[in-house]
Amino acid sequence: MSSGTESDVSPDVWDGEIEREIGHDEYDPIGTLGLIAIYFVIIALLWIFMYFVEFLGRGPTVV
Amino acid sequence: MGLFVDDYPDEAWVVRAALASSFLALLIGGLMGTIQALHRTGFLQVIENSTYYTVLTLHGVSLVILFTIFFLVGFYQWAITDSLQRPSENIRLTKAWYGLMVLGTLMASIAILGGFTDVTDMSADVLFTFYAPLEAHPLFYLGLATFIIGTWVAGFDWFRSWWAWRKDNPGERTPLRTFMVLTTMLMWYLATIGVAVAVIFFLLPWSLGLVDSVNALLTRTLFWFFGHPVVYFWLMPVYMMWYVILPKLSGGRLFSDPLARIVFVLFLILSVPTGIHHQYLDPGIAEGFKYLAMTNTMFLLLPSLLTAFTVVASMEHGARQRGGTGYFRWLTALPWDKPAFTGMALAGLMFAAAGFSGMVNAGMNLNYLVHNTMWVPGHFHLTVGTAVALTFMAVTYWFLPQITGNKVFSKRLGLWQVVLWFVGMVFMANAMHRVGLGGEPRRTADPFYDGVVFDTALGSISELHFQIALGGVLLTVSLLMFIAHVALTWFDVANRSTPEPEVLPPALSGPEHAPAVLENLRLWTGIAIVLIVLTYTLPLASIISSSGFFGQAGTIVAGMLDLVITVAQPLLEVGP
Repeated sequence: MSSGTESDVSPDVWDGEIEREIGHDEYDPIGTLGLIAIYFVIIALLWIFMYFVEFLGRGPTVV
Repeated sequence: MGLFVDDYPDEAWVVRAALASSFLALLIGGLMGTIQALHRTGFLQVIENSTYYTVLTLHGVSLVILFTIFFLVGFYQWAITDSLQRPSENIRLTKAWYGLMVLGTLMASIAILGGFTDVTDMSADVLFTFYAPLEAHPLFYLGLATFIIGTWVAGFDWFRSWWAWRKDNPGERTPLRTFMVLTTMLMWYLATIGVAVAVIFFLLPWSLGLVDSVNALLTRTLFWFFGHPVVYFWLMPVYMMWYVILPKLSGGRLFSDPLARIVFVLFLILSVPTGIHHQYLDPGIAEGFKYLAMTNTMFLLLPSLLTAFTVVASMEHGARQRGGTGYFRWLTALPWDKPAFTGMALAGLMFAAAGFSGMVNAGMNLNYLVHNTMWVPGHFHLTVGTAVALTFMAVTYWFLPQITGNKVFSKRLGLWQVVLWFVGMVFMANAMHRVGLGGEPRRTADPFYDGVVFDTALGSISELHFQIALGGVLLTVSLLMFIAHVALTWFDVANRSTPEPEVLPPALSGPEHAPAVLENLRLWTGIAIVLIVLTYTLPLASIISSSGFFGQAGTIVAGMLDLVITVAQPLLEVGP
């Protein structure tokens, strides 16, 4: 484990469920980046969709 | 270190009692929800339309006040005791605030239940949003006040533990869980000022007949002063679970301790000065003030998006430690067979969807489209009804063994339960959003009117109503499974072996990386107060100057207050 920034952790913490320990410096959350990018794309598309719902699909809003 | 229940038996008793109260409220409130889902959609109407509002009040108050807050106080008591590694300073005080909360609950519940019977005039059909002109029996307001005072004392109790800990550990960073509890409670103290003023000075005197009328817009504004931040009071314990427990369940560690602290500081600062965004359609509040509230609200997206990153990155860390690889393949390495993990992950996924509908609610122009429609209940069934409720239920599968000393009855039953809740809510909340877009109003027993046809772009309204009813039934089944499961574990029916104590791994980037200023709670509270003053002073002054404290009708007390203001105003203006 090449970390140097955090205290070591005994693998027992995870009840023997992990294969290897990954330290701070070796960890690169690339999958998280991918998921968040997908979320932002969905949100942007939904905003565009809302434009059609609000301005093109209906008359003046009276609630 | 042993199990929490063995190390701190007295504190564990309070945690268990709070959780038991929470689950009872969940059961009652949830069953009321079933009645509503079937009644509104016309599938099964066992109550009169007029009784619907009593049911709705019981549903709202049970779930968003009692279920959530009882769970919070239980969980936070554990967080404080376990992270500071010290028992309560005075266990009698700890039991006293729990007792106070129970007393308040009983008082408010009696008032609400009075609505079901003609034997007494007592009723409180005022919904969870209990502002004027709807009026409840005084016992309802007194009960709520007592309940909230109970939470205030709880906060004091936790601060007291922290003060004592600091004395024994000078110069040390506050443990993350304690930091989260303290920032939540500071936010809560600020938020509850609004509801305390509304209840003590206006609603209670009005309900007791001491004054003839109130300024309805003023009580609405004071309610929403509390009514928006209360959602963070539900969410902040959930965030704590996502930050502290979820990484461990995933097989990893929290990605960044300082980032988690920043998120909680942002919630303390930004939660309260946003309430006016619930009043975009209220006449009597100038557009500029609404715009200011919208700006603050949009800033609140920041801590939620920071959380999305940190929590997902922590899960990914766990998945990679468990052997996961690839851009997205690591998702399959997560422990999907654990109900606690799966429930929390699904709750987080729902929260991402709720983020979108929340942005629609928060935008002034789009809000006009969905205001007072079923879209809004659709939104908060994703937030409090899933992100919060499903996380609480899921974490119970991890938490219950720590506080009862009994292993969970059945992993598989738990897994079915959390997945069923998710599926039920996908049907119900999605359909609620869509009928809302079609214009169907909320807060009505019977949304069908002569000559009014609701249109939906895709499918039909009756199909969407079927989805709401189906979702409601699935949620009921899931709820009953949960309550049964808790009972089976609580009384250790399976008589399983004693669970192992759980150790929470430290963060990858620890508290030593956090700037010291984050610990300065006085500073953050000060900034929060300044923002509240900036956002609320002018709108409140405008509301009061246009209709007085007690509305146009006038009373002796209100007349005297107005007289004092009339006399005092020129004196103040004369000044040097």
